[in-house]
Amino acid sequence: MSRKKKGSAASGAVNFNMTPMIDIVFNLLIFFILTSQFTQLEIEQVNLPVSFAAKPEQVADYRNVVINLKDPDAPKCVVMGQRVDYRVQEGDNELSSMLKVFKEDAGDKPLNVILRADEMVPYEAVASVMLGVARAQIEGWWITTEIADQEEVLGG
Amino acid sequence: MARAGPPKQPDKIQPPMTPMIDIVFQLLIFFLLIPSQSGEAYLTTNLPRTSGPVAGKQQIDIKRVKIELQVPENDDKGVVIVLNESRQFGQNFEGLLAALQGLQDAGLAKDHPVLISPWMSCRHKWVVRAFDMAVGAGFTNVHFAVPYI
Repeated sequence: MSRKKKGSAASGAVNFNMTPMIDIVFNLLIFFILTSQFTQLEIEQVNLPVSFAAKPEQVADYRNVVINLKDPDAPKCVVMGQRVDYRVQEGDNELSSMLKVFKEDAGDKPLNVILRADEMVPYEAVASVMLGVARAQIEGWWITTEIADQEEVLGG
Repeated sequence: MARAGPPKQPDKIQPPMTPMIDIVFQLLIFFLLIPSQSGEAYLTTNLPRTSGPVAGKQQIDIKRVKIELQVPENDDKGVVIVLNESRQFGQNFEGLLAALQGLQDAGLAKDHPVLISPWMSCRHKWVVRAFDMAVGAGFTNVHFAVPYI
């Protein structure tokens, strides 16, 4: 047995330590599966408007609720992957009720609403969402845009 | 009794691969995540105040700068810009920016209220662009009009 060991050591075969590599691969796998699911839940595919005055913000400093407004011809409001009724009505609508629950859950941490609206959505839909957010007494209101140069914005 | 054999050859130098692979994966995660955060930015503004079950009309400050965004009859995806209910700019946002900068040069304070009042059918991109022009001209107190629905 000892001879055999000696022989293999002398041959100088490359032996990778596979255990930590497998650990890392599994970590990556878990990470990408989880993050892709969370991302899909929050963010819908929309064509964002461009802006030169908008600034990147520290999103992590707040508890954020992402409101997606998509389909310009028949605007749909999607929050956490769920379609929500945002039409203005007497009393709370589904959106404002949902936001009130989020605000209660947030506790002391400031709650922030991030609007991701398609650039061709009519203002009526945006204004209705604004009223829903205001009715939930949420002050943080960010409109998501794509960053562009001033020339690009004025030329587009 | 051990016989002296041939001199042992030195082992080949093998760099430790495991930490290198670990680091490569960490870098991979880093560079995959960073681009997803860039390219997007946010415009921040004040929301309309509400009182009671339905949003109420706020008191109108006649001194505020008002940017009205109308929709032309023949083009529901277009826009007509009207500043302070008198000056029309068509779809010329560059003209609006120059006019707003002119107001600043004439002595209007940076925190002077600016109201963006779009028609209900006006497209979101025009609203954002008008907001862009107001902020680009240096105004810091920009609001959106939300009509009494």
